[in-house]
Amino acid sequence: MSQERIKVLLAKKKIDVHGRGTKLIARELRDAGMEVVYFRFGVVEEIAEAALQEDVDVVAVSIMTSGQMQVARELIPALKERGMTDVLVIMGGIIPEVDFEPLRELGVHRCFPPGLPGGVVADYIRENVGTATLA
Amino acid sequence: MKFELSDKFEAAKETWAARRARYADRLRPAKTLSGLPVKTVYTPEDLADSDLEEMPGAYPFTRGLHPDGYALTPWMQQMVFGYGTIEETRQKMEKMVAEGMEGYFGHKVFNTVYDIPCMYGIDADHPEAKGNLGQCGVHMSTGDDYDELIRGWDLETTNFSMITGDNCLPALALLAAAVERRGEPLHKLHGNSMNWYPRIAVQDIPSWEPKWGYALMIDLIKWAKDNAPAWNPANIFMYGLSEAGATPVQELAYGLSWGKSIIDAGLEAGLAPDDFIGRLSFQIGCTVNLFEEVAKFRAHRRMWAKICKEAGVTKPSNMHARVHVHTSGYVLTQQQLMNNNARITLQALAAVLGGVQSIHTCSYDEAVGVPTEESHRTALRTQQILMLESGVRDVADPLGGSYYVEKLTDEMEAAAWEIYEELEASGGYRRGIETGEIKRNIDNASYEMKKRINSGDLPVVGVNRYVSEQTENYEPFRIDEAIEDKARARLEAYRAKRDQAAVDEALEGVREACQALKDGTGPLMPALVEAARKGVTNGEMMVPMREAFGWYVSE
Repeated sequence: MSQERIKVLLAKKKIDVHGRGTKLIARELRDAGMEVVYFRFGVVEEIAEAALQEDVDVVAVSIMTSGQMQVARELIPALKERGMTDVLVIMGGIIPEVDFEPLRELGVHRCFPPGLPGGVVADYIRENVGTATLA
Repeated sequence: MKFELSDKFEAAKETWAARRARYADRLRPAKTLSGLPVKTVYTPEDLADSDLEEMPGAYPFTRGLHPDGYALTPWMQQMVFGYGTIEETRQKMEKMVAEGMEGYFGHKVFNTVYDIPCMYGIDADHPEAKGNLGQCGVHMSTGDDYDELIRGWDLETTNFSMITGDNCLPALALLAAAVERRGEPLHKLHGNSMNWYPRIAVQDIPSWEPKWGYALMIDLIKWAKDNAPAWNPANIFMYGLSEAGATPVQELAYGLSWGKSIIDAGLEAGLAPDDFIGRLSFQIGCTVNLFEEVAKFRAHRRMWAKICKEAGVTKPSNMHARVHVHTSGYVLTQQQLMNNNARITLQALAAVLGGVQSIHTCSYDEAVGVPTEESHRTALRTQQILMLESGVRDVADPLGGSYYVEKLTDEMEAAAWEIYEELEASGGYRRGIETGEIKRNIDNASYEMKKRINSGDLPVVGVNRYVSEQTENYEPFRIDEAIEDKARARLEAYRAKRDQAAVDEALEGVREACQALKDGTGPLMPALVEAARKGVTNGEMMVPMREAFGWYVSE
């Protein structure tokens, strides 16, 4: 893993508004040397399909206008169905801190509050990519 | 301003210079958020070229739209709200009225936000609506929903602001049909359509192809002019620009250019300047940078008045830049949530000192999710405390004549004209949507600001200063997911009682009218109103519209 560029699928729902945070994190992860595929999805299934096709190491979902629990409930099984059990799944944006633990229980490896330096997210990805599982 | 340097002032300046000589070269030069240099002291000398011979209520309105500021009636408290189905939102409307939320002369003002499926134009049974139904806005798509929205409110004294997305035309058609069902004439209708198509220049959301976006905007403007003349048919969403990362100066320049693009499109479509320009209004962001924001609002009024005059507007009130402020959500932090109340107070204060017409104050917990009843009330109370306890509403343009604020107003105006004129010379805002130039510049400003926050150069308390490791575990307002079933059930029940043949026929009428609008042979709005009469829903109207006007995501 350390030899290759880490590839991140950064997913945001098509109808989700205010993309400032998403675009910033895309740029900051690129600054950290990662390859970022910015992807707008309609239904959650499309995230898993894109992750498979793009053969990414990380699936990152950006949330502005809610829906994080529904996304997680469908995303994790959809990734597993496609055999993507070694992908690192993270979420960020306007997500209440009290949802972080329930999201972890659903299989999301880590959630990030808004406004953090992208470097914090990049460090987490580098430390955990390739070691996480969706078992 | 004429200013003779007196011996007395010269002496004062010498004393001043002597007192600071020891440390003056150690002072770190300050800048505004827009990057304009700021001195530590301003004097009458800074205003040598300023035109200060102005009164509030007179062109070019730098000092405010009204001769006595807020003395006659204060700003409108237009809190954004909306969640669940119309049933939940209706209860919230009544609660807000009971809490004292009101507009001019005690009129009711409802600044209602739709959920994103409605904004995008899909009904509750669409698979992509899942997870977002009734969450960050109200799900309103049927005639029944709109009947309930307006039930019992006096149309002459109630203002409905509809925070729509691409569903702007269908939403107004549905509202108009509801007014008709009540047996009342449309000219009683008061409120706003957002008509925010040009936000596509900065917000990465799907919308119409650029060449049709403006045709749809103008179609609504024309329909409103002829049918509901008290309706405000287009809002210039400068908030969308600043929330995407525009500096205050960029927000001014691009926002005014957005407004100019509507003026141009309207004139091209054969409208006369005094027929529509006076009905345009603005929604502007406001950060915590108090003086820069005050100067921004002052410069904005003056610049818009000049643009209107140049466009041929003759009636002074049609040159009014009527401004609703939405306090910036971007400046709120999820860290140490309660700190946001201090930010919101400063933001609202800046808006009031800037002389705006209407304010939405964000709630301190909006960095976490949808506000609770309590946080939403506190945000409203923040406005009411400013209005009733602080004395800030007593004097019009209280910072007028301040050496600093006057100078900053002039400097922001000059900096904004520079960007504005460059954009106008290269085809204006409409061209800027297509080239992506506006988005690129704003994205870059957002990135530069984030880098300054990351490095600590731009302090944000709780984020890069006085950071706490303690988690807040704040429980935000929750909208039960069961609302999704309820929204679907309401939709099904509505569809079951319609005359399907009439619905199909009306949709065919919409399809034909879409083509007519494209061909330049007829309007679309009347067909949408007819469809609304026959029971066609928000999402159903959007299907033929998408087919006709394309669907375009700019990234």
